[in-house]
Amino acid sequence: MKKSNLKLFALLAVIMTVGLSFTALKKITVKGSDTMVILSQKWAEVYMAKHPGTVIQVTGGGSGVGLAALLNGSTEIANASRPIKPAEVQKLKSKFKTAGIEIPCAKDGLSVFLNKNNKVAELSIQQLGDIYSGKVTNWKEVGGDDAKIRLYGRESSSGTFEFFREHVVKGDFAANVQTLPGTAAIVNAVAKDKYSIGYGGAAYAEGVKDCKVKKDAKSKGVLPTAATIKNKTYPISRYLFMYLKSKPTGETKAFIDWILSPEGQKLVVETGYFPVK
Amino acid sequence: MKKILFTGMLFAACLVNAQEKANDTAISKSVDTLKTNELTKLKESVEDHSMKLAGYEERFSALESVVNELSKIKVSGYIQAQYEMYDSWASDGSQHGIPVTGSAYEDNSFYLRRARVKFTYKPVDGVNFVLQPNFEIHQVTLKDAYVQLNDRWLNTFSLWVGQFSRPTYEIEYSSSSREFAERTLMTRTLYPSERDQGAKLEADFVTKYNVPLKLQFAVLNGNFGEGALANQAKDVDNGKDVMARGVYSLKFPSKGLGIDFGAHTYLGKTTVIALDSNPANNIFKDVNNNLFTPAVGDQFKKELFGAEMQLYYDFLGGLSLKSEYIRGTYSGTIHTAQVNTLFNANKIRNVEGYYLSLVKNVGKVNEVSLRYDVFDPNTKLSGNNVTTKDDLRYHNWTFAWQYYFNDYIKVMACYVLPLNEKSLNAGADYKKDKHDNIFTLRLQARF
Repeated sequence: MKKSNLKLFALLAVIMTVGLSFTALKKITVKGSDTMVILSQKWAEVYMAKHPGTVIQVTGGGSGVGLAALLNGSTEIANASRPIKPAEVQKLKSKFKTAGIEIPCAKDGLSVFLNKNNKVAELSIQQLGDIYSGKVTNWKEVGGDDAKIRLYGRESSSGTFEFFREHVVKGDFAANVQTLPGTAAIVNAVAKDKYSIGYGGAAYAEGVKDCKVKKDAKSKGVLPTAATIKNKTYPISRYLFMYLKSKPTGETKAFIDWILSPEGQKLVVETGYFPVK
Repeated sequence: MKKILFTGMLFAACLVNAQEKANDTAISKSVDTLKTNELTKLKESVEDHSMKLAGYEERFSALESVVNELSKIKVSGYIQAQYEMYDSWASDGSQHGIPVTGSAYEDNSFYLRRARVKFTYKPVDGVNFVLQPNFEIHQVTLKDAYVQLNDRWLNTFSLWVGQFSRPTYEIEYSSSSREFAERTLMTRTLYPSERDQGAKLEADFVTKYNVPLKLQFAVLNGNFGEGALANQAKDVDNGKDVMARGVYSLKFPSKGLGIDFGAHTYLGKTTVIALDSNPANNIFKDVNNNLFTPAVGDQFKKELFGAEMQLYYDFLGGLSLKSEYIRGTYSGTIHTAQVNTLFNANKIRNVEGYYLSLVKNVGKVNEVSLRYDVFDPNTKLSGNNVTTKDDLRYHNWTFAWQYYFNDYIKVMACYVLPLNEKSLNAGADYKKDKHDNIFTLRLQARF
């Protein structure tokens, strides 16, 4: 073989190797719940470190955005901090002829955040509903100082928004709820504002205090802890889900199986959430 | 002399020092002036920007209120343009194609099947106004026009008033999503034009109670899709027809399986509103094919009972299996204000029909579908006892393929093979299976 042919062969071999190494990368896209972004990113980081041939792209945007992306085919896995809506299932049925695959992957308590200097430490579901629907507007009405309540909440595309509306507000939010992108932003805002209140995933409560929540006026206030969320005594707890349009196969299946394994569930606890089993 | 010199030097030193101090003071004053000027400029700039920001905020508020109002209006719609080929022949080969107004027979045609725009206005939470005109080459007709009031307390009930789809699965499943070119013969015959005017109460127990049960109850004029368009604007016989439907959804999300099943009923009447000057046009046939002449005001049964099932399963990608079964007694008249073109006779009939459809997604952009549907417009007669083609039972096979370019554009190829019941006494075309297959190639765009 001539030297020039050898060089050409070597060059081609390098190109093909590089090319093949790119095509061999398996890409998994995950989109949706902002509540789940940190957890999902952690799962992705650890899994990618263990499986160098796999690329996992995680983005937030809210549960509704993730499920919309699942419906338009731009993501493989939709993260949602609320169960899929009947209308979304209908769209899956109509478009993909499936009812979708639902995988509960963690449990979460929805915390109510109060500023550390706020006198109020516990509220009933009814009081929270009244506060967020605008019926109660002053802290003195719920045992606090004579000061106006400033409300922080999530955008309507968020699963946390939907869950809180359905299980706590049970109606429309007050018009003066200031919406912020993500629970971290809400925690930050409440930490700076003595007379504010916010809600979000329990994993984010840093620099603020968790409000004890009472199921009704006569019940005892319960803090969102691993034990109370697991034994369901904390009244605002929920599952976190992953949705797919069809049964996972290949690397996606391996990733999901790993998430549900003790190793994946250990990260759930480390991130501040609670394992499904 | 020395003293004089020393005094002079001392004076000069003091003078220099005083000069330096004066200079320092002047510099300090100059810096202060500069600082003051800068601060003044900065203050002016901040004020200027504050004013600009206030102006933007004002404009933004005005725009925001406009955008908020506009966001209450949703516009959607779709266009279906298609090419059709009619493999339809008279038994003696004399006619090929289908009769078309203004010309003898056509065996192929371009056809704008749908051009619809749907406007939904949601002024406040819980209230929807829906208006959906359909644009045709020669006219604009109103398809949906209703007000929907959702209960805000239980999140369970909704009241619809106006013109809307009759509550059956096949009718409520939009034509833009359907996997076949047309609905089944059964649905097209028994529920002409799909819609009707009236009021409908829906109860969906899934949101509030997490029970996947939906109940629908409707009171309708009962004459939509019958007779001339002008006659469909109001009820023609005072009597109201009633529809009810219940659907329960079973979900097995971990297995990718969903099963919806339900039942519906239609309870109505056909009223004889006038007699024709020609006595022959007033003769009716009862369910046993006996002739009789009714009086004005006589009412005949229009009672249907149906069952339905839709199964969705993730088997190598999506797969759906859907079925509906309807039987009952149906009546029709040839009176111009009430005639149903697919049940065009003075008659009362026991009818029965069903369909079974299988749809399979192949990859991400292809979908293949197969449907078998049967409609018997007269269950009491069969074979050579059938003396008119309108009483013949039909078995229809439909094959379709859809290709999705994206979420908004798809192409459909659909082939329908209607197989009629054979009778020696229902016309020459029906002694054997009439050649009446149809091929449709459709491009659909929706937004």
